[in-house]
Amino acid sequence: MNRGQDVIVVGGGVWGSAVAYELAIRSMRVLLLDVTLPGRATSASAGGLWPVGEAVGLGCGVIYHATGNSESGDESTPNVLPDLFRDFLIASNKRFPALAKTLLEQTGVDIEFDIGTGLMFLMYTDYEQAIVDNIARSLPQEQRLKILSPEEVVQVEPKITHELTGAALLPEEHQVNPMLLAEAYKRAAIRAGATFRHDTQVTGFRRDGDRIIGVEIGEEFLPSNLTVNAAGSWSRKLAATAGIDIPVSPIRGQVVLTERLPRILQGCISTSECYLIQKSHGEVLIGSTTECANFDVSVTHDSITSLCRGAVRAVPMLRDVGIKRVWSGLRPGTPDELPILGPIEGVTGIINATGGFRTGIVAAPLMAEIVAQTASEESPTFPIAPFYSSRFLETVID
Amino acid sequence: MIRSKPVAIVGAGPAGMSAAISLAECGIRSIVIDENGGLGGQIYRQSPSTLRSSKFTQSKEASRGLQLKQHFQSFTEKIEYLPNTKVWGVWEKQLAVTGQDGWHLIDAEHLLLATGAYEYVPPFPGWTMPGVLTPGAAQLMVKSMHIAPGRRVLIAGTGPFLLVVANALHDAGVEVAGVVESVRRSEVFKSLPRLLNNFGLLRQGWDYLRRLGRAGIPIHTGHVVVEAEGQNQVEQVRFAPCHRDWQPDLSRAKTVEVDTLCVGYGFVPRTELAQLAGCEVEWKNELGGWIPRVDEDLATSRKDVWVAGDGGGVAGAAVAEDEGRLAGLAIARRCGAIDDNSFRLLRAPIIRRLDKLRRFRFALDNLSQLRPGLSTLAKEETCVCRCEELKRGEIEPAITAGCTTYRTIKTATRIGMGRCQGRMCWPAMARFVASKTGQPMEKVGNRSVRPPIIPITLGEMAEMEPSDAVADQGRNS
Repeated sequence: MNRGQDVIVVGGGVWGSAVAYELAIRSMRVLLLDVTLPGRATSASAGGLWPVGEAVGLGCGVIYHATGNSESGDESTPNVLPDLFRDFLIASNKRFPALAKTLLEQTGVDIEFDIGTGLMFLMYTDYEQAIVDNIARSLPQEQRLKILSPEEVVQVEPKITHELTGAALLPEEHQVNPMLLAEAYKRAAIRAGATFRHDTQVTGFRRDGDRIIGVEIGEEFLPSNLTVNAAGSWSRKLAATAGIDIPVSPIRGQVVLTERLPRILQGCISTSECYLIQKSHGEVLIGSTTECANFDVSVTHDSITSLCRGAVRAVPMLRDVGIKRVWSGLRPGTPDELPILGPIEGVTGIINATGGFRTGIVAAPLMAEIVAQTASEESPTFPIAPFYSSRFLETVID
Repeated sequence: MIRSKPVAIVGAGPAGMSAAISLAECGIRSIVIDENGGLGGQIYRQSPSTLRSSKFTQSKEASRGLQLKQHFQSFTEKIEYLPNTKVWGVWEKQLAVTGQDGWHLIDAEHLLLATGAYEYVPPFPGWTMPGVLTPGAAQLMVKSMHIAPGRRVLIAGTGPFLLVVANALHDAGVEVAGVVESVRRSEVFKSLPRLLNNFGLLRQGWDYLRRLGRAGIPIHTGHVVVEAEGQNQVEQVRFAPCHRDWQPDLSRAKTVEVDTLCVGYGFVPRTELAQLAGCEVEWKNELGGWIPRVDEDLATSRKDVWVAGDGGGVAGAAVAEDEGRLAGLAIARRCGAIDDNSFRLLRAPIIRRLDKLRRFRFALDNLSQLRPGLSTLAKEETCVCRCEELKRGEIEPAITAGCTTYRTIKTATRIGMGRCQGRMCWPAMARFVASKTGQPMEKVGNRSVRPPIIPITLGEMAEMEPSDAVADQGRNS
């Protein structure tokens, strides 16, 4: 695709904003459209940057499987994602230090990239220990988990319970503020020439033969040479308006946020019951359920209760800490837990940037880069083809 | 523990009490939940019996309150009353409440929200200083705790409530240095013909004014407070004449030495529970802001949730009482306890009274409706969000960068992310954004509400075992 053409990016969460930015710095004329719908994943994400943790299922993945959402018979064995995806996440994660600096310089927005002691998975039972040992052996040497004894855990995290068999530590896994990441990307995109329209709900894609020619906003039609579907959980509904099926479905995650506290956690904590991240303003965010509830963004008291129980078990002093609020968000999930990026077979004028599921925040920088590279016909810095939506067509034939 | 009742009523003020009475008269049991220790809500609040003296129970209001309470208490077999209990969440037909014995759930087929209103204070320099409080807080101190909020007090803002509080403080022996009311005298006179349609209420207002006059308390109409000053607490307050839009003319500011400033510009409906229940809300400036959308019988968009009293739009105790009655009857009809015909008969006099009261309120609300000049009071370094300790100057860059709605400003600045969830800051900030960007308030948007709306600890939450509780405890209806 040539320079100077119009691109419309639909969805101003982290992914849409990141893609708009990467396109704008490639001198494309970008229009970013956003409407804040209840449940957008950007507003409920914990902001964990856990490439290995998530790829091997020790982030919120372990909760996903522990709560019986996995289809494998074994309910508490985390699902390990393909090595290629793990490498993708690791490469994306490495961009954060420089990205935080660039975005701060360009927009004045601090994305609160917080380097702590890493992601620590707490093990309560021998069974969990055995699973972690297995995972550790499967990882390449340089990404190995560091296994800590209960005594070592307490040295790093004095507030953690002593009732542990140990913990697995991933020292390079940190956190950001996802909402500020989206905001900073958005402002950087605007600074690079992109136009932003908020409160603008795209109602459909307009298709002419095998080509998407623009978007509809109610009665209004906005033509474009290229449309990026970054509508997260809503991307399937939108694609369907042009007769395209991409298997993205909302996966609800309920979270609990505490009142502000002095620094009590040095890094990110996960267990088979919940994860805990202390954000830079002092609140501890406790997540997260993984449920199919369609677009229902309510919270359920049994889920909140079990998250609180998990949090109090991991960090007993939280027992007397006040809850500031609980809410939920909708992760754009896919059947294989991998994102859906790039062009669509048989239709031109459209590119996917959706399906971020559990790893949307850490994946954002590299995802946006390779999507923008594809849009501007550069060769991508990381293979994008494995993330094409066409991978689902093949399984259908089978 | 899960309790189950056909009707749950939140709030035991005039609306909640009269609704429960209506229902009981139709033979329907209800549970009335209130955060206070005694009946009456804010307006008919009683002091603890150990502090009660005859002096404070003589007013007309108080005797109306007493009547209502006695009537309410005569239905012990129909009304279960849960004082000292706060509702912190709503799930479909369940209320999550917390009382002295931890938290539990209440099941109800129908829910009536009679949650009242809280006072509106726009930020101005010095408003967070010790010695600044709302008129309601001052009234609470003298009426129920019998504590004087200060030695010398200035009362400022708008609305007849200022006169009520000025009198209460004066009666309690506090020196009232004056009342500062933004509305001009001439505007009041112009509205007199319409106010006359409720002679009783007008007369009440006149009495309050006359008593202040006799006590030599000056009333500065057409003025606004612009700053509270002092070392560690209020020592003096500056106020100035204001233009029609309530923007002060600082060149003519005066200073008065006081140790306490009571400031309040009317009330904001408490809509948290309605929002949690998923009821649609709409913007009605003259009724205090965002209110649940209701039909003529006070049912919300969720047909099993009703709203009565100031929580559905600020209109005072008399309206609240009749709205409670109306909602009670409407619920009774829905339950099949009364037929359509009796409902119509019982409803007609209530509607007539409400119409009359509302016309009076409308004239009053028109006068006291908040005007844009109030948004100019905060200076750049004035705190606008107490929970997150944000200054006005920290919000403006976000607005300039294109954040012009609740969600976008919140994301960029953290305003409203504190414990109060925007309750204190957002009504004023929304008006500030609207006047700065020229957008209507509907567009700037309402704050979102998330449970728990009152503080509850992780430990309390973790200890709840809803599924076991149902099996063990059974239903207590």
